[in-house]
Amino acid sequence: MRLELEEISYVYSRGTPFEIAALRGVSLAVEAGEVLGVCGGTGSGKSTLAQHTNLLLSPTSGRVLVDGVDAASLEKIRLRQRVGLVFQFPEQALFAPTVEEDVAFAPRQLGLDEEEVRTRVEEALVALGASRLARRSPHNLSGGEKRRVAVAGVLAMNPEVLVLDEPTAGLDPATRETLLDLIRSLRGAGISVVLISHDLDEVAEVADRVCILEQGEVKAVGTPAEVFYGHPEYAPTMVRVVSSLRENYPEIVQPVRYVETVNVLKKLLEG
Amino acid sequence: MDSTTGEVRDSGPLAVSCENLAFSYPGTERPALSNVSFEVRAGEYVGVVGPNGGGKSTLARMLNGLLAPDSGSSRVLGVDPAVEPFEARKKVGVLFQNPENSLVAPFVEDDVAFGLENRGAPVEEMRVRVRSALRAVGLEGYEKRETHTLSGGEKQCLALAGLLAVEPEVLVLDEPTSMLDPPGKRGLLRILDGLRGNKTVLHVTHHLEELLWADRILVLNEGQVMSEVVPSVLFSDARLLGENGLVLPPVLRLARDLGLDLPEIDSSEELAQAILKEMGKRVIR
Repeated sequence: MRLELEEISYVYSRGTPFEIAALRGVSLAVEAGEVLGVCGGTGSGKSTLAQHTNLLLSPTSGRVLVDGVDAASLEKIRLRQRVGLVFQFPEQALFAPTVEEDVAFAPRQLGLDEEEVRTRVEEALVALGASRLARRSPHNLSGGEKRRVAVAGVLAMNPEVLVLDEPTAGLDPATRETLLDLIRSLRGAGISVVLISHDLDEVAEVADRVCILEQGEVKAVGTPAEVFYGHPEYAPTMVRVVSSLRENYPEIVQPVRYVETVNVLKKLLEG
Repeated sequence: MDSTTGEVRDSGPLAVSCENLAFSYPGTERPALSNVSFEVRAGEYVGVVGPNGGGKSTLARMLNGLLAPDSGSSRVLGVDPAVEPFEARKKVGVLFQNPENSLVAPFVEDDVAFGLENRGAPVEEMRVRVRSALRAVGLEGYEKRETHTLSGGEKQCLALAGLLAVEPEVLVLDEPTSMLDPPGKRGLLRILDGLRGNKTVLHVTHHLEELLWADRILVLNEGQVMSEVVPSVLFSDARLLGENGLVLPPVLRLARDLGLDLPEIDSSEELAQAILKEMGKRVIR
């Protein structure tokens, strides 16, 4: 699916003395099967943007297009099945007595038959490495386990676009790696992912393209190398190291991911 | 403290002490904490690390009396939080992982004032303290904003301001930077650095680079204290890191994978300098 934001503006508390313009004319497309990283400082509009992808927030002006069709004209439940949104700290919304019931909740709302629901729950829990939790209460899990279950609940809808808002905040390295692997395998399956994160190092590892938001506007969008090397203030660790070296050796290539960077620097050290 | 041997500070008054703390959540077989014992001296800055489910957040809840241990006991500046939770909360402030859970008022300044108001602070003093707490976390000018319009990172700073305003002697921070962007993170670490010596800090995190300058680090895994070490010792102990699911800060990891021995380095610029130096050496050879 191609998801497009067209000149989106959004104002919180409009018409009150507390008006805040969170988005100011944002145009951005998520191509089918790509991982789009969205970075930007706190308060730059990242989460507000996320909530527009499935029209949880309706833009003050502008449109959201799904394969060229105005999303506002689509049935809400269908739109939200196709564009799955995982909030910040999504584990807050866990509510069912068991993990499998919790993950089954959304697919059931779609009116799927019970066998299909079971299959989806199983697949989603496997994808998050959470199968062994199926019969546990979601309320007695650790923070990392809860996060896995909450993401599984959205994945079980079989979305065509998965939007993740700070999915790794507060996670240990192993759980974070599970989520990054999930993102890579979704891309492999042709599902688009929007990864919203202030962790530039993690965006650098998985994004095909990167967008930087600043004060509700798109400051830059392009390949990770273009964006990160072009905007030093948003450079992840690897890019910062290489950029410092390029001051002396401008001929060094511009790696972004960790493994690429190690290879480039090893060659450099070998002379 | 001798940072080469990993000896811990052993003088000065105790701020926090835990003895054989054990706790299991209802309906679970595996204890969240078992036999947890450690001491923190007043003014120490202690990191707490380990995998999700290792017991870090449970420990934080125990220190302000939100949870009572099944057995064992803890003391915060002489007060047992399980027995006198309200007394303990005057001495220890906890910043929880999800800032949403800490915000109570519709407007920023009221939210910061909430804790002070409950303590009956005079209005004038309250104003001063609210203003200085907001300034400390970089939220000056946000006084009249509605809290629900703040971003995740701003909410995290706001929750911290609420905590700083009541000036607790012991701060327990559970993943305080989880929602912050890189400048926000640096700002927060500067605030925390400014508290060193005056306050006792327990800083829970998955990001070891935040603990480069901690007095020591407590590794919690499977509900037990696996180790108590100074940062440099933890960073150079691959087995200790591996067994507890910890990864080195990116700069140190890159240095290690390049075969450079640089345990003290903490910025990408320093690493780049070290690489240049190494290249220079090799060219001469």
